[in-house]
Amino acid sequence: MDAQGLDKNRIDERLPGYRRIAHLDMDAFYASVELLRYPELCGLPVVIGGSGDWQPEIHKDGSWHFSRLRNYAGRGVVTTATYEARVFGVFSGMGLMKAAQLTPDAILLPADFRAYRHYSRLFKAAVAEITPQIEDHGIDEIYIDLCGLTDDTLTLARRIKQAVRESTGLSCSIGVTPNKLLSKICSDLEKPDGLTILDPEDIPNRIWPLPVRKISGIGPKATQKLAALGITTIADLARAETAFLQTHFGSSYGHWLHEAAHGIDDRPVVTESEPKSLSRETTFERDLHPRHDRHILSKILTGLCTDVANDLQRKGYASRTISIKLRYDDFRTISRNITLSSPTADAVAVRRAAEECLRRVSLKQKLRLLGVRASTLSAANTLRNSSMSHQGELPLAE
Amino acid sequence: MKLIQAERDTLLKPLQMVTGIVERRHTLPILSNVLIERKDDKISFVATDLEIQIATYAEDGDTVSEGYAVTVAAKKLQDILRALPDKTQVTLETDESRLHAKAGKSRFHLQTLPAEDFPKFPVGSEPQAKITVKQKELKHLLSMVQYAMAQQDIRYYLNGLLLLTEDNDIKVVATDGHRLAFALMKLEAPQEKREVILPRKVVLELARLLNDTDESVTVEILQNQVRFSFSSVVLVTKVVDGKFPDYNRVIPAGYQKHFDINRQLLLQTLQRASILSNEKFRGVRLILTTDNLRIVCNNSEQEEAEEELELHYDGEALDIGFNISYLLDVLNHLSGETVRCAFGDANSSALITIPGNDDFKYVVMPMRI
Repeated sequence: MDAQGLDKNRIDERLPGYRRIAHLDMDAFYASVELLRYPELCGLPVVIGGSGDWQPEIHKDGSWHFSRLRNYAGRGVVTTATYEARVFGVFSGMGLMKAAQLTPDAILLPADFRAYRHYSRLFKAAVAEITPQIEDHGIDEIYIDLCGLTDDTLTLARRIKQAVRESTGLSCSIGVTPNKLLSKICSDLEKPDGLTILDPEDIPNRIWPLPVRKISGIGPKATQKLAALGITTIADLARAETAFLQTHFGSSYGHWLHEAAHGIDDRPVVTESEPKSLSRETTFERDLHPRHDRHILSKILTGLCTDVANDLQRKGYASRTISIKLRYDDFRTISRNITLSSPTADAVAVRRAAEECLRRVSLKQKLRLLGVRASTLSAANTLRNSSMSHQGELPLAE
Repeated sequence: MKLIQAERDTLLKPLQMVTGIVERRHTLPILSNVLIERKDDKISFVATDLEIQIATYAEDGDTVSEGYAVTVAAKKLQDILRALPDKTQVTLETDESRLHAKAGKSRFHLQTLPAEDFPKFPVGSEPQAKITVKQKELKHLLSMVQYAMAQQDIRYYLNGLLLLTEDNDIKVVATDGHRLAFALMKLEAPQEKREVILPRKVVLELARLLNDTDESVTVEILQNQVRFSFSSVVLVTKVVDGKFPDYNRVIPAGYQKHFDINRQLLLQTLQRASILSNEKFRGVRLILTTDNLRIVCNNSEQEEAEEELELHYDGEALDIGFNISYLLDVLNHLSGETVRCAFGDANSSALITIPGNDDFKYVVMPMRI
């Protein structure tokens, strides 16, 4: 299972500017956490998604009864799926009803973010024992700067994988290259339980044959546009003139595309990253009408605002910009934001701001999604300097 | 063309009545102007900010020309008139594009804009409710609550005052989310239930314009508008479109801990203590024990003010904090001799009332200090 790069352990730190950056990606993270809890599901197609209604029930004899995907009715989406389910073509973000058509017998489990966060903390802490040079990149991914460590790359990477397994019982895939861009591509090359070490001279062999979408930063739209220009692989992209790319994608993105295709990326590993925003959103069980379903929407909005406020408080931030996101039944998506006079982490204040944003959008069409985002974050302890922080609020709202 | 010749005050008084609502900087230049119009035997002055429209008349004056209408910068004309000596005879004349104000050897030439462009808004004609009360009564009623209105709150409906007619009552409510003031006045005739939110600006303007006399003011609730007619003034305002929160649910009932105290005494004591309250938080601690109220203020330089008042109190001991400005506000605007302060616990609101009078209630949330 180990990489072709076993013997390619020669990234040489003595060369100036040479870096060893690892990207660690947990394998089917949410699904794997669920399998830890329900080991009897190992080897079966399992799909995570939907609401708590699909919680497994325990029988008198102690065995579990799981919901099958075929029984699902609703509009939830796949949060993640085990590799056994992915074989059927199920992927994250797919509608659960659609997934049920592909693999009706798959087990359906509701997402349990609490558990995922717990395991996320565990594996990050385990890696931090080896080196603190870690950049958080979501719940199941980190970048690790291996520069300055004396051991050779393969030993280090194996040690990290071992530490993750010991602390969580879960497997991960690691890519080690001179930069974040390549490492992110490489961690995906040999999933699951992969280990890929890549030198710059391997780029033509291993990176260029890949489709352009493997580059983090080339999304579906850019992929489509590139395809229209006859560029489908990274090799095609590498051959394209920078000027040509800049004509079609603007000067900075065009330039970046060129560099990315050649595996150039100077971004440092940022160990102390501050979040830029915190948000919550939800797709409704059915499309809701702004007027007829006003009460349901109002409840959902309050819930989202409360969640955002709780996230802010838990993470110790206060926000000055509150935005809402609406997706209409025709998938048109819009957002509106409002800037407050002082930062807040209070659910009532967030709700009030969100409501104000809603006043500025057309509410004639049915909605399928509602989201609330808090940005322009500052550390919550600055709250104490703002004037009204200790002032009680009259319970005017419902 | 000569428009009018009159003593300074004949023009200045009505002008001052309408200029209060004129915005200094506005995207529509004509909104800084006052419309001066002669119809029949009257000279009217009209100003508007598109939300509020206010009109009044010159009492007398030697009007010498036929019907006319012109608009001119309201504040400039007002400043000119004000700067002229008392009792001066002033003449206003117009030509194509200017208004000329002449007084003695003074000459002022002001730009005009066409009266046709002045955005007077249509006023509804069918009142849904019509109330006539003494000006001083309405002035007093508004003054009891207007200080609690929110200012530039994004809950736009709080930047105003709720006016409610019901049975024999006219009720007013204002809140900024931290405190709420409620007052009611009895009417002679029963009213239909009507509820409107008056914009903050109108409330402040009415407080300025209403006289402290027995002269009457008529309040007419129209479709989306309210018209106030008093003295020689007709003020029409659009109402704030929105739902005012249910004030009843925040007015506590059945508070057991309470004391009565002389209003002036409490006001003066708090005013002294406030000298050393934190400039930003304005916090004050009230420590209530049997027959004793201790008032403590601290500022950021660790300076402290401490006051003690003897009173009759036999409830549980209580240590509660407030924004002192919210307490000073209510004590300043009440007129009675005694106030009653009632409390729940240190985290619940306090209720300030006038003993033996259910027509006024002030609810204020505490502040953690």
